[in-house]
Amino acid sequence: MNRRRGMWLVLAVVLLGLGAGLMVTGQGDEPRPERPQVEFPRRMRRDDWKRAEQRRTQVVQPVDAGTQAAEPQRPRDPVLAALPRGAGRSAVVIEANALRHSPIGELLLDCLMRDGGKRLDEFRRVSGVDPLQDLDRLVITDKGLVLSGNFSNAKFKELFQERTASDYGPGAKVYEPGSVVVTTENGSQRRGRDDGVVGTWNDQLLVVGDNPESVKEVLDQVHGGGSNEPPVISEGSTYGEMYGVLSVEEIAKLIPKEQADLAQRLREVASTVELHMDARSDVAMVAEIRGADERKVTDLGKSLGAALSVARLKAQAEGNKDLAQMLDFAKVLPGGSEFKMELAVPLDAIKERLAFCRDERQAGEARQEKP
Amino acid sequence: MSAIEVSGLQKTYRSAFRRTGHDALRGVDLTVPEGSAFGLIGPNGAGKTTFIKAILGIVHPTAGTVKVLGGSPEDPSIRARIGYLPERLHLPGAWTATAFLHTVAKLKGHRPDTAAHLRLLERVGLAHAAGRKIGGYSKGMRQRLGLAAALLGSPSLLVLDEPTDGIDPVGRVEVRTILQEEVRRGTTLFLNSHLLAETERVCDRVAILADGRVLREGRLEELARGGARWAVRFAPGADAGALAAAGFQAGSTEGLFHVEAADPAVLNAALDKARAAGALLVELRREGQDLEAVLTSTMGVAA
Amino acid sequence: MRPVLGIAGYVLREAASRKFILAFLIGITLVLFVLSLSLKLEVLDGALAATRLFGEEMYLGIRAVDVALRPLFMASAYVVFYGGILFGIVACSDFAPSLLSPGRIEHLLALPLQRWHILAGTFLGVMTLALCGSLYGSVGLWLIFGVKTGYWPIGPLVAALLACGSFAAVYAVMLTTATLVRSAALCAATGFLTFVAGIIAGYRSSIAPVFEEGLSRKLFLAVTAVIPRLSALATASADLAASQPLGVKSLELLLAGVVVFGLGVLAVGLWRFEGKDY
Repeated sequence: MNRRRGMWLVLAVVLLGLGAGLMVTGQGDEPRPERPQVEFPRRMRRDDWKRAEQRRTQVVQPVDAGTQAAEPQRPRDPVLAALPRGAGRSAVVIEANALRHSPIGELLLDCLMRDGGKRLDEFRRVSGVDPLQDLDRLVITDKGLVLSGNFSNAKFKELFQERTASDYGPGAKVYEPGSVVVTTENGSQRRGRDDGVVGTWNDQLLVVGDNPESVKEVLDQVHGGGSNEPPVISEGSTYGEMYGVLSVEEIAKLIPKEQADLAQRLREVASTVELHMDARSDVAMVAEIRGADERKVTDLGKSLGAALSVARLKAQAEGNKDLAQMLDFAKVLPGGSEFKMELAVPLDAIKERLAFCRDERQAGEARQEKP
Repeated sequence: MSAIEVSGLQKTYRSAFRRTGHDALRGVDLTVPEGSAFGLIGPNGAGKTTFIKAILGIVHPTAGTVKVLGGSPEDPSIRARIGYLPERLHLPGAWTATAFLHTVAKLKGHRPDTAAHLRLLERVGLAHAAGRKIGGYSKGMRQRLGLAAALLGSPSLLVLDEPTDGIDPVGRVEVRTILQEEVRRGTTLFLNSHLLAETERVCDRVAILADGRVLREGRLEELARGGARWAVRFAPGADAGALAAAGFQAGSTEGLFHVEAADPAVLNAALDKARAAGALLVELRREGQDLEAVLTSTMGVAA
Repeated sequence: MRPVLGIAGYVLREAASRKFILAFLIGITLVLFVLSLSLKLEVLDGALAATRLFGEEMYLGIRAVDVALRPLFMASAYVVFYGGILFGIVACSDFAPSLLSPGRIEHLLALPLQRWHILAGTFLGVMTLALCGSLYGSVGLWLIFGVKTGYWPIGPLVAALLACGSFAAVYAVMLTTATLVRSAALCAATGFLTFVAGIIAGYRSSIAPVFEEGLSRKLFLAVTAVIPRLSALATASADLAASQPLGVKSLELLLAGVVVFGLGVLAVGLWRFEGKDY
């Protein structure tokens, strides 16, 4: 009996040892990896306010007949002044400098420099502007472009030598459309025609438009004139690495043809679409869609949410992992007469996608270094 | 063959934190013949329950050998032929009697037979309560159910610890009848009871256990035999002086006398003297010891 | 094997007659019933459009229903896992001490059963009870989510099974305790201690750096190596519920290790029970 009893004890020791071994093997030694959290741009952060404050460099004196005592004017950001004003206008600001130093920016740079940086060097040489250093913000509006940064080294005279230039207010010049002569690397000259109108303001702003009126309108605004309506982007909405207001039509065009009904409803219900994108780590986007009719806006939000869900299921079924992963984070947040749509792409997914750019850039640079 | 054979059985209960233990059994030698009705009696703390548990494998002996039905009590096949009624049998209150017997039959390895169970319940006097929950049973009813469970499967050895505890006198008669029937069938009965009168009526062999040892053991008649004392009754009017001279001592009631006579010749001589003195003999009875007297006298001697 | 099943049936029959178990079943049913009535999920084309609990709208946003409900599935997995084990400790602490009580154990030991049949049968009976109870609750949750959302999450079911495996380890400790000291309170206490130790053991890699490098850290790692990793299993069940990658190398090996631990402790109990006098 004692032997049988002893057998149980031996079995116990063996089983406890085996159990420990199985658990150690099964669990592994590494602590659980933290799931990446995606930060969505939903409001101004402290850094955003600081940035906005630093940009308030322009003091504009009001034009008056001398009847009233001059009140001290608060300084303002000239780029915000340059933005389109009034309903129905659109503008998207790309914080090129911030983007340049973000992980996505590094990846995009790899793509840009796939040829080893030849085209970038060419641009630098011709324009005198280094987009990677001198460009602060790029604004794409419904009527053109506005670039802000440090253009003191820009070779405007050489670039616009054959165009008609005129002064337009203090520190501003407007270059009419005309022919352009460009000296290439090997010393030969090339002649072309540029129909765009270019305006400059000090060495800070570069305005590009289709016609002189649109460029002059922008410069007027910078000088303190222009429409009294507020700009499409207020200072309190300048958060994210990319932000702006798009017209409903422009957003509707982005919706795939299969969802034409949805696009049409968007046109009917929404009045404005405000976009913000955060690229400090993962790329996260928030779109705020506003409309007058609360019920219709809520229904639209639900339909969009359902469409995203269907798209996700479709992507999963088709094995489109990238799209499915992006739509994993997709969310529609209803809120009365507006709703927010959130989408995100994890940085790892983007890295994987753009890995080829890094490989090609390294190959290109290696080719350049070879004698 | 012996149903139970115990040799040099010792059991010491040791506590984890004490060096010395309590010696419940100090070397017990006992043999219970097959087919006998054996009673184990003794004072509280004698080791009776420990002895019963040792022969059933519920406690492990410290020393000695135990053989039950020719084998070891550790062997489940031996225990399959034993029916046991513990002193304080726990019965699940929410079950019915038939459900309990059903479960015990399965655990004993028998196929449950509802009809046989009902017959068994009838035998122990519980047929009327077969479908009732055990929680509503009286103590006597619970004991009867326990007995029924012990009788399941017609065991070769019945070990009963206080089987009539809580049962009314009429019920005790019924239980006694059942036990006697079992003994007549050839079942060996091993009984532990404080009710000495019951033990006397049921058992033919008895052992007296005290302080972990067997003091006396043997057939009941041999143990109870008192020796040479007789009780004699004479008709009223007998000459007390003449009877005293003949060796008769006056008893507690009128006409009752006691006389010591080792053999029939001495007895008859005394009777002749009494009759010669004019006494009329009405009743003659040998005075034997009952079990209680046996126990007390044994304990007294042991002390 | 039949005697083991016989004892298991004995235990189950006993459990069925206990009002506590009945109260538990009624309690779970009520909770599921209230949840099914009060949780309103508006699903549109597979997207969770609106969530209402007790009439109040919960601001979860409109997104794909399986994604939106991930936190809910994870929470339900944790509740099923930890809640199930805790309830099991309280509800089942009395079974073994009751079975080993005087008058009962003597009767059982006198039956033609091996001693290990009795303990193993008790273990099997209680585990069957635990499995049935946890499956009842988890299938109820699964049905509620499935009917309301059209999405049938496997999370609660997986959590229930993992919880049962974990409870096997915890109950083995409780049963072994009963063979040492026949006390329901002590059994519950050792069960709870095992539960807490299991949570700590699951986080041993993260906790180890708290200890000074050297003997104390080695001792901590050595001791926790043997203890079942309950929190790791809980987290794995939540990960499975949320369709997230597992944080453990092999869930099968981990679960097997926990169950084998339980059997090892049970073997200690059997060793003790074989030599014990009743």
